[in-house]
Amino acid sequence: MTDAPPLSKEEFQQLCEYLYRRTGMVFTEAKRYYVERRVIERMSATGSRTFLSYFARLRGNVQTELEHFINAFTVNETYFYREEHQLTCLTGDLLPERTRHKKPGGSVRIWSAPCSTGEEPYSIAIWLLENWPLVDNYEIEILGSDIDTQVLAHAQAGVFGRRALMRLSPYLIEKYFSAYPDDQWRIIDDLRNSVQFSSVNLLEPNDTRRHGQFDVIFCRNVLIYFDDGSRRVAAENLYENLLPGGFICLGHTESMSRISPLFEVRRFSDAIVYQRPAGGSHG
Amino acid sequence: MDKPKTILVIDDASLARLYYRSILEPAGFRIEEAFNGMEALEKLQSVAADLLIVDVNMPLMDGLTLLDTLRQQELPIASIPALITSTESAETDFAAARAAGANHYLVKPVDRDTLVSFATMLCGVPQ
Amino acid sequence: MPLVRKPGSASPPAVQDVRLVQQALASPVSEERWAAARAAADLAGADMALSQALRAESDPRVREAIFTSLAHIGSPVAIESLLSMLRSDTAVLRTQALDALRMVRTLGAVPSQLLRDPDPDVRILSCELVRSLPAPEANQLLCELLATEKNANVCAAAVDVLAEVGEPKVLGTLADCARRFSDTPFLVFAIGAVSDRINLKSASARD
Repeated sequence: MTDAPPLSKEEFQQLCEYLYRRTGMVFTEAKRYYVERRVIERMSATGSRTFLSYFARLRGNVQTELEHFINAFTVNETYFYREEHQLTCLTGDLLPERTRHKKPGGSVRIWSAPCSTGEEPYSIAIWLLENWPLVDNYEIEILGSDIDTQVLAHAQAGVFGRRALMRLSPYLIEKYFSAYPDDQWRIIDDLRNSVQFSSVNLLEPNDTRRHGQFDVIFCRNVLIYFDDGSRRVAAENLYENLLPGGFICLGHTESMSRISPLFEVRRFSDAIVYQRPAGGSHG
Repeated sequence: MDKPKTILVIDDASLARLYYRSILEPAGFRIEEAFNGMEALEKLQSVAADLLIVDVNMPLMDGLTLLDTLRQQELPIASIPALITSTESAETDFAAARAAGANHYLVKPVDRDTLVSFATMLCGVPQ
Repeated sequence: MPLVRKPGSASPPAVQDVRLVQQALASPVSEERWAAARAAADLAGADMALSQALRAESDPRVREAIFTSLAHIGSPVAIESLLSMLRSDTAVLRTQALDALRMVRTLGAVPSQLLRDPDPDVRILSCELVRSLPAPEANQLLCELLATEKNANVCAAAVDVLAEVGEPKVLGTLADCARRFSDTPFLVFAIGAVSDRINLKSASARD
């Protein structure tokens, strides 16, 4: 058993440069241990006997290897109130700006894509009801979409395990969930019936166009895994689905700088988000 | 002792960024990096830069578009000095860079002394 | 409860007619040109119309959509249009053309042809297209380029790609290049860094 490090300095550097170019993620020496561990895991999982052969696999995105690799660095476990800072930004900055010129009773439309098993769109709903003073002034539509109809069925059913609720206070659980067999919890009917779920392929404009334009889109940890061409098309679709001045939030390791030039960056105290220009239709 | 000046190097070529860092850090500058014009605009939301060194040809947002966008933003970001680097050497290219808001233009490949003296001058460091 | 649920509506029918698309590409309304540019991606025969529209388009977002559709179509006409933009004097057109070419799957021998283009700026941008090729092919093409290339910036572009994909077989060519350009400090630096990386990686290669 050798005690040489799993990756040489040069291999680590080469990998980090590639990941930075491709995704914008920065891995410093401080993260080295985690990167090496992930490489070893993936080399084993893919049967790559050398770093060179693994790197070729990663570069070629063989069997979506990029996604497998990066998965370890984005929080994939889905639970309620994940990335709370984006929710804080939503009610603290995004919605105030979006509603500045809306009449009372006007609509506010929010899209969560992909919504997976529903934690994100339901979180948005609960958060708004609990934290937005103006929530009763508008008609709020929340859409959750995913390409996977199985997870959508799960989302529609609104049943969650205890782990998904770990960030919620007992007060919120009491208010918005009812106990369900097998130590599970079900979202109350009022809320379950207030969120729209739909199957949508983000790459398919015929799918995305059906849902109109939104004030805010949450599109986390999906765009960065597409190849260059697909990223562009998905970004164009999402652009069409934003109202002028509307906002799109990506995952915290993602950046539009590797995806599409259509949006402008806006920095708020809790999050960096991207915006479709407001003036006219095309800025 | 004055705070070191911060230079944001914007170039999609990792070796170019490495080269500029290898020259400018020993010369006393703090270096930040960005891959293209869009990442530079993001970085500038949270990092204060005294000078931008901007390449022209970059994916998704080129250097001239970056400068043009920058000059339309609010102060102080809008007035950060910018040094353009490019392989192009025609008068039309200099003119385009000036029009976009560059303070100076260096033709690549850039040598050490030229880089340090222009960086120093544009950052307002006494030579 | 302020939350309401509304189902989506039917999406507007896809435009099928190239002539309609062509007309809409000339509309004074940028939104209409945008829609036409996007619709054109799936229309056989729209490549010519897109190519013409691209030359006249001044709205950067509409232009982006035209570039995406041309890349999606990837026909010889579309590729030719992208290549002509690659040669543009205007930086944003060059870089958007390169972004679009990167998406095209049907480039075939185009990258290797471009590496022999008489315009050094085209050769520089083409090195980026080679980056997307599998490592053995990329090494082969860049090695051939570096053996005879006289322009320092073209060499630098090739060397930057070799930082990502370089294999030991290119070390000799890199050393020769560094000798030829011994008075160009950046290139000497870059070749040194890449050669070190290739050397040290192969020294530590397991298995």
